Amino acid sequence: MVFKILKNFARGVLDDDTSSPIVQIEFLKDFLSKHKYVYSQNFEENLSILKKKHLVDSFLVTNLDGSIVVSSEGNGHTDGIMGTAMLSYIKSELPDSESVLIKRNDGWFMLFSLNKKVFIVKAGSELSNIELRALSIELESLLSLNKTAGDRKKLTQVA
Amino acid sequence: MSRVIAIASGKGGTGKTTITANLGIALAKMGQKVLLIDADVAMANLSLILGMQSSPITLHDVLLGEAQVQDSIYDGPEGVRFIPSGLSLDNYKRVDSERLTSIVSQLTDQYDYILLDVAAGIEKNVLSALSSAQETLLVTMPTSPAIADALKTKIVAQRLGSKVIGVVINFVMNEKGEISKKDISDMLELPSYGSVPYDPEVRKSFMQEKIAPVIIRKPSSPASQEISKIASRFTGVKMPQTQEAKKVGFLEKLFSFFKRK
Repeated sequence: MVFKILKNFARGVLDDDTSSPIVQIEFLKDFLSKHKYVYSQNFEENLSILKKKHLVDSFLVTNLDGSIVVSSEGNGHTDGIMGTAMLSYIKSELPDSESVLIKRNDGWFMLFSLNKKVFIVKAGSELSNIELRALSIELESLLSLNKTAGDRKKLTQVA
Repeated sequence: MSRVIAIASGKGGTGKTTITANLGIALAKMGQKVLLIDADVAMANLSLILGMQSSPITLHDVLLGEAQVQDSIYDGPEGVRFIPSGLSLDNYKRVDSERLTSIVSQLTDQYDYILLDVAAGIEKNVLSALSSAQETLLVTMPTSPAIADALKTKIVAQRLGSKVIGVVINFVMNEKGEISKKDISDMLELPSYGSVPYDPEVRKSFMQEKIAPVIIRKPSSPASQEISKIASRFTGVKMPQTQEAKKVGFLEKLFSFFKRK
């Protein structure tokens, strides 16, 4: 019994040839630092951060009539009109539909509607409905923050 | 309003399901109304850990729209309530896991805590579970592959709008080469909610005629004690001293040993 205890103790203490994987620890710390998404005061910069965070190439937000609310690329009038019309047609035929995903040669073209806005997203790989919703919600809150900041700026100018 | 917490890790085998079951029971012992949901629709086994594998209506039926969510809730140990996931592979292929968010939102006014046992990986059903929860608690082991997967899960959870609140380090053996609690916290940039030691009693809990989570079978075991501390961290209430399961005498152990042979 005593021998067994001593043997276990010796194995536990003396036979432990392990050591902390310092290189891997540093690698993982660096990995997280590359995936930090901190918004700034600059709206355009925030749109780029959002693209990186949600792994998409571009996005465009339009009203239901196709007029552009915001575009990550600063244009997209044609995509806006086409996407809104397409979503409107599909919703008229399939009223329960939540999103439209189209596979193209150069990636995916995705349409999602939320709060009377259409979100048109392009990405190399398709996003699930959950991911499209998360992106749309975050984009909406950025827009509303930007609007509040804009309103505040206008008020200051008036004052 | 409930705190809806997804318990996730990215990597399989880190003990998410064991932590979910035992943490839920610990919270219930502190007087909290707790609902456990087996959100691992493909590889469900929370029901096995709770010893409640024969449930006729499961989350699969609710996700398929073939049953009401209230009909899929069962009474578990210590007052915990539980929604099992089905074991059928056919139904797994048919279910729409995206409906989980609306199912969870129907239940938030009835419980103090809703804990979701999330599958490994970052596939669709994982995304669905993470986006159903306002908060995510990561479970990892003190090894770099497990931490790497926890990191990815953290990034995905944040992308989906779930707040990652902390990390539980499981299977801690205090070997020299283990990555320390501080390093894990630093790497994940998250507070540690607890370090659950490797405890043979956890494994033994699955080797019983009637399976019961370790916190019920051996409440004084090191793993049970640490999980209770994690629950205390959530509630701010100290775990009441519980009567340990009936002590088995030496002769009784010897007798049962020969009976087994």
